[in-house]
Amino acid sequence: MLKKTDAANIPVELIGSSPVRPDGVPKVTGMAQYGADYALPGMLWGKVLRSPHAHARVASIDTSRAQALPGVKAVMTAADMPDQDFTYQGPERVQVNFWHMTRSVMAREKVLFAGHPVAAVAATTEAIAREALGLIEVKYEVLPHVIDVDQAMQGDAPLLFEDMITRGNEQAKPSNVSRLKTFQAGDLEAGFAKADEIVELSFKTEPVHQGYIEPHAALARWGADGQSEVWSSSQGHFVVRAFTAQLLGLNVSDVVVHPAEIGGGFGGKTLVYLEPLALTLSKLTGYPVKMVMTREEVFEATGPTSGSSMTVKMGVTRDGTIVAADGTFKLQAGAFPGSPVLNAAMCAFSVYEIENARAVAYDVVSNRPKAVAYRAPGSPIAAFAVESVVDELARRIGMDPIDLRLKNAVGPGSSTIWGPKHAHGGYRETLEALKNHPAYQQPLGPNQGRGVASGFWFNGGGESAATIHVAEDGSIALATGSMDVGGSRASMALMAAETLGVPYASVRSTVSDTASIGYNHVTGGSRVTYATGMAVVQACQKVIDDLRSRAAMIWDIDVDHVVWDDGAAKPVSAEVGDFAPLTLKEIAAKRAVTGGPIVAEVAINAGGQAPGFSSQFCDVEVDPETGAVKVLRYVAAQDVGRAIHRRYVEGQIEGGVAQGIGWALNETYIYNDKGHLENAGFLDYRVPVASDLPMIEALIVEVANPNHPFGVKGVGEVNIVPVMAAMANAIRDATDVRLTALPMSPPAVLAALEDSGANARMNEAVSA
Amino acid sequence: MPESVFEPGQGVVKVTLAGAFEPLTTEPQTFDLAVSNVRGVLRELDARVPGLAALLEEESAVAIDGVIHEIIYTQPLAPGTEVYFIPRLESG
Amino acid sequence: MSKQHVQTTINGESTEFLCETSQTLLDVLRNELHMTGTKEGCGTGDCGACSVTLDGELVCSCLVFGAEVHGKRIETIEGMAPANDLHPLQRQFLEHAGLQCGICTPGILVAARELLKHHPDPSEEQVRYWLAGNLCRCTGYNKIIEAVLAAAREIRETHHHA
Repeated sequence: MLKKTDAANIPVELIGSSPVRPDGVPKVTGMAQYGADYALPGMLWGKVLRSPHAHARVASIDTSRAQALPGVKAVMTAADMPDQDFTYQGPERVQVNFWHMTRSVMAREKVLFAGHPVAAVAATTEAIAREALGLIEVKYEVLPHVIDVDQAMQGDAPLLFEDMITRGNEQAKPSNVSRLKTFQAGDLEAGFAKADEIVELSFKTEPVHQGYIEPHAALARWGADGQSEVWSSSQGHFVVRAFTAQLLGLNVSDVVVHPAEIGGGFGGKTLVYLEPLALTLSKLTGYPVKMVMTREEVFEATGPTSGSSMTVKMGVTRDGTIVAADGTFKLQAGAFPGSPVLNAAMCAFSVYEIENARAVAYDVVSNRPKAVAYRAPGSPIAAFAVESVVDELARRIGMDPIDLRLKNAVGPGSSTIWGPKHAHGGYRETLEALKNHPAYQQPLGPNQGRGVASGFWFNGGGESAATIHVAEDGSIALATGSMDVGGSRASMALMAAETLGVPYASVRSTVSDTASIGYNHVTGGSRVTYATGMAVVQACQKVIDDLRSRAAMIWDIDVDHVVWDDGAAKPVSAEVGDFAPLTLKEIAAKRAVTGGPIVAEVAINAGGQAPGFSSQFCDVEVDPETGAVKVLRYVAAQDVGRAIHRRYVEGQIEGGVAQGIGWALNETYIYNDKGHLENAGFLDYRVPVASDLPMIEALIVEVANPNHPFGVKGVGEVNIVPVMAAMANAIRDATDVRLTALPMSPPAVLAALEDSGANARMNEAVSA
Repeated sequence: MPESVFEPGQGVVKVTLAGAFEPLTTEPQTFDLAVSNVRGVLRELDARVPGLAALLEEESAVAIDGVIHEIIYTQPLAPGTEVYFIPRLESG
Repeated sequence: MSKQHVQTTINGESTEFLCETSQTLLDVLRNELHMTGTKEGCGTGDCGACSVTLDGELVCSCLVFGAEVHGKRIETIEGMAPANDLHPLQRQFLEHAGLQCGICTPGILVAARELLKHHPDPSEEQVRYWLAGNLCRCTGYNKIIEAVLAAAREIRETHHHA
């Protein structure tokens, strides 16, 4: 159970420093092993045959010619995996419906997007496997397709599932809307009636990919005794184990998943694509099978976040009180239900205390890969709309945008649109940090503008396990089941070293495979430093109690008279006896006679996490001739509770902002009229490069969460939430033109400037 | 339907289903329950809406006086606590 | 069709291998020679994760054929550190947290080493433009730039005192 701690006030020595991480040297010397770096003797290469059509019935698949190609050892289709019952299990928004999931991994009756896996081949070389794909004959009955979310909701849109009834609107006829849900508080009509200014705008955003540099990769080995091993890059090897076992009809414990190092995930690697296929091919061939996606496959066939269509209406009184807010959010789920629209609706207004508010959420399927989590899924999309409208409200009443947010800022006790009251502060402090930044008052030049935006994200808790072993020489082996995406092994070691009172260098921090430690939920949701950190600290406390009782045994006194201080057992007072402190090393040397190895494992289902708040401003310069937007300055304030490893915390904020800038300015999916992706590579799917960005300034705000022993709040995600709106607001400030569609790429900006005549004004300003 | 009997040692806890948990409930509802932990809440809700406990365990998280928790049976609830069952979260 | 027999020098060591005509240098390094330090991010020369030097020139190994390197000199990430020590760039990347997931790091280190050979005292802008061909999705580039500038300082000071 949670214990409230004095987290803010505990004096710490190591917490907040920035030591080198345990996987650091392997990563800078090329020795670290990522998913594609593993190999086994006798290994075969697997390749996937993918649908050339965006929407079609699969009439037949003939694999005989492929099977006959020398070097081909097996060809599989969905028939080689058991079908699944149609039931929604677990968290509805993650949509774990295995009937959907097995079809997402490999098509059965229909293909639902160009790139949808239809079959797979295992062969002695990659080249032969690729050649074999061309010999598989699939007969398709091509159907009309639909990709855009608004088009998918039209009455005459082609249906992906002919019998899909909207959950939440069961009276309507079958459609592509899988879910409709409304969150509401107060009285909208009365609220808007009180407003002096009302702004209503509609917005359109395109899907974007998480953009991890490492393509998906897996190596699988099926044993003749039914025991399997998988090596893959993922954000959660326990989830890989669970999904793979379910999809192949195996006992969970018969699959051991080894966590490879991961080259970026951001939510996009919290599920399986290749693992079930590689394992099935291994079963069919009797050999290990390795599968690695190409970059084209990553863009064509793995889940991006949703495109969206949104309308937001908000009302404010002249003194700056936001009196009503109404938002409609339609998000693209892709080929199977489960966009992050419910998150979007819940997060949309969550930084504001608004008495009368409503958010309506539509989850809409369409012919592209199923949407997958991307850094605070749903919240950045809603924030683009809401924070743009709030910016307009501030302009209408002539109020500074930070001041307007301060006036309506939530704090402990504030209500939410989805029920419970806020329990944690921190938002106000991020606004104040921003306002106090010296650059916020600095004047800007011609065609330059400044934009402000805020964001909210829930942050996660959930299941985590940690094990501590005290080695024979007193050094510490620390293991958890949380994949390390960005340096969490170092943070775990810091928290352990701080708790035990030992040097950081004496703690070895590793990630265990699924056979070696209790269940750990995914590395995502900004949960690891919080939940796994909590498990680590509790395990250290158990070890400390054990060490105290062994010292008591050695000294032949009562354990209640022994304290642990500064890395050693000490008598609680001089009255107890004249005993010199016993260090970890000394107690470890006596472990056998005091009972055996010194080990503790703690497994928890953590709750009590605090949400993330971030407030940001940016300065941009817009070129009126090309529409290009240059980011001159970016300042992002975020409440992290307490920074455990300072540089990694900064890195999370800097990285999230950079992704948001790409989302704002360039990233998009370009489909042709056949539903094929035309920009399936990094040349034309344009992510920010080093020369696009200034130094991003991270302002770390620390309002401790008393539910965590060190006051931690999750840090990874909320930093991306405000970025697109901050950029749109800055462009508005620079040009007097508001863009309501993403991306705000040069052609889009130029067209908007030309439409409004703004660029003529701006050219004058420069030449004046 | 069993009546709530306020036993000594149990206070009244206000429990809200924030939103619909289809197909068993279709709109938000609030209950005053005489319970002392989360297991008690689930038991009382299940008595009123059969099958709801299993659905909530699978599909929701719980906010206790605003602080979000996973559903854990033994989580204690003091008298006067406000409890909300909210849809579980996706993360990335 | 028989394979190509290639003789080359990799990180100072004389090396030979067999490869198909169609195999890239990246494929040869990773899958024939088991030198997996060089990474594949895109296979089309857009991300820089596969950067190596070929006769002293920075190249994307996914755009070079294995057969092309016959008689040439290749340097990869595995050859960057002297035995049991680290190159200043590697050390500064660790100190400055210039990596999060680390997948782009080998390519960036190889590219940065070439930068510092040609421009031992680069400005921030020069570093950004030199590394524009190396994509990083995790860091936002802040700490990569800081690490490169710190390494440049360290190398200049060492030479100054040598």
